[in-house]
Amino acid sequence: MKLTGAQILFQGMVEEGVEVIFGIPGGSVIPLYDTLPQYPQLRHVLVRHEQGAAHAADGYARATGKVGICLATSGPGATNLVTGLANAFLDSFPLVAITGQVASSFIGKDAFQETDTTGITLPITKHNYLVLDVNHLAGIIKQSFHLARTGRPGPVLIDIPRNIFLEHAEFSYPDQVDLPGYKPILQGHPAQIKKAAKLINEAERPVIIAGRGTIIAQAGAELKYLAETTQTPVVTTLLGIGCFSEHHVLSYGMAGMHGMAYANLAIDKADLIIAVGMRFDDRLTGRISGFAPHARVVHIDIDPAEIGKNVHVDVPIVGDVKMVLQELNKLINSTQRLKWIEQLESWRKEHPSLEIRDSDGLLPQYVVRQIYEATQGDAIIATGVGQHQMWAAQHFYYDKPNSFISSGGLGAMGFGLPAAMGAKIGQPDTTVWCIDGDGGFQMTIQELATIVQENAAVKIAILNNGYLGMVRQWQELFYKRHYVATPISCPDFVKIAEGYCIPGLKITNKKDVIPAIKQAMDHQGPFLIDFMVEPEENVYPMVPPGAGLAELLEEPRKKAKAITDSNKLPVSNI
Amino acid sequence: MAATKHILLALVEDKPGVLNRMASVFRRRGFNIQSVNVLETIETEDSERPGLTRVAIVVAGSASMVGPVRKQLEKIVDVVKVSDISTRDEV
Repeated sequence: MKLTGAQILFQGMVEEGVEVIFGIPGGSVIPLYDTLPQYPQLRHVLVRHEQGAAHAADGYARATGKVGICLATSGPGATNLVTGLANAFLDSFPLVAITGQVASSFIGKDAFQETDTTGITLPITKHNYLVLDVNHLAGIIKQSFHLARTGRPGPVLIDIPRNIFLEHAEFSYPDQVDLPGYKPILQGHPAQIKKAAKLINEAERPVIIAGRGTIIAQAGAELKYLAETTQTPVVTTLLGIGCFSEHHVLSYGMAGMHGMAYANLAIDKADLIIAVGMRFDDRLTGRISGFAPHARVVHIDIDPAEIGKNVHVDVPIVGDVKMVLQELNKLINSTQRLKWIEQLESWRKEHPSLEIRDSDGLLPQYVVRQIYEATQGDAIIATGVGQHQMWAAQHFYYDKPNSFISSGGLGAMGFGLPAAMGAKIGQPDTTVWCIDGDGGFQMTIQELATIVQENAAVKIAILNNGYLGMVRQWQELFYKRHYVATPISCPDFVKIAEGYCIPGLKITNKKDVIPAIKQAMDHQGPFLIDFMVEPEENVYPMVPPGAGLAELLEEPRKKAKAITDSNKLPVSNI
Repeated sequence: MAATKHILLALVEDKPGVLNRMASVFRRRGFNIQSVNVLETIETEDSERPGLTRVAIVVAGSASMVGPVRKQLEKIVDVVKVSDISTRDEV
């Protein structure tokens, strides 16, 4: 059967189980869009900016575990995708991005809307393709989906010249891929697993740091078994949030720059770090030379290039987290670690990182906590980047994978709204809250129109402090309150929402928070609440840049205590 | 650690852009490549499949710098294998 390139592309998507495409048409993809109505099973979501397409596809992938699809035209369409691709790349989420390209005969001639898309996206995609022969298209689609979703997932881009959409080729969808240079290692090395089990069985103060790899591998049950059997406390990375229920007695929350004090102290005093599906990002480790100074390190990850990249690893295990943990769990001994757990519990009491201080003012932490109370945790939270992101990570308790959607590695402001939209489209029956800041919200605010057009009932909470808050916090703490370019004005968000036919409320008093959240939840469609929070509230705990995890700052109004000397907590006393 | 000469020998698919992908790994880290040699393509039996090519790259760097670069090169989908042959006796 002969099909056009456009038909081959959509037929390939159907074969791969695609349901939703986030995109915007343009010159070089008109023939592609012309074919789209032949595939009614593919829902097209018309975004308002290609960055929104990539972020929405990313949010969709995060909420569903499926591959997210974004589609853009050549030139500016493709360059507008760049932030979203980099974001998915750093956080290892599966996207397939389709970009139109000028016709083959125009490539390299600076034609209208021509950019070197594969060149630009080379370092921010797992792989990319320029299709120069329509006969190769089906194979490339197959490879792209395979690469995006297997091994360490990531975005794959396919750049397709306009004429390829119109040319014909015999279509048969391959059932396997032949990639001699791509063979992810899934089974961990048995000897390494044995060594890891020995270290775990001999450890006195082990800590598990679980990351997003645990969620990708769907290894929550195996992680829980490991933690419970060996009575090992579990802390997570930002992207690992949800891989281990934060209600579990062995959960000590998120670690890192704005992690829980007790989580960071546990890492600092541990004699064994069991790192599961994570990559020792600098926001997690603090100063590398001060990271887990007493610990040996077992590192389980599917990407060999992550092993030993940032910290010294004693026992590396390359493999799929689920498969490795299944084997590891056969070799571990059931253990009691009363002394160590007792120590962590006393840190939890002495350093109540999640205690919200008494205040008549409208505290952003209080707003997040009330969203948690109103949803009973049964919601997806999507955030932008900055202070609100950290409060959303801290003050909402996550007990399910994929319930916290946030730009971790790239730290891309503007991610919140389109990601929430993608998540809601992927999980229409789940409550989705976008918690955003007043700065980042203005970066992708135009997607409000998409939300309305697609009737995606996203609930939006803006924690509005009139600042680019996280930068302001750094300026306050480390630049002598030199607030340069951080005070930011914003429009009346409620009026803006009204312009998009989205009802909204502006909240200035603490007492109005709970009724406002209830009103938003009771409303059928999208709803926006602009919370005018304390302008100069800071995120605590905080590990200052360049400091070790134990040198963390805690909220000064609560207690003027900074733990600056990690020797105050001698290991011998634990 | 002292910078020593490393010869990285890569087996790669013979496709456009592979050298760019490899060079990008060095460029990003500010590594200066001392020399590159692309050897003759080994044809595969299947005429539809691209052949394989060997690329030899010489760089100066410490083992702790070159080691991670070798792993990053191996991550490239079109790259089949990379060996640091400077550590072998026969070289």
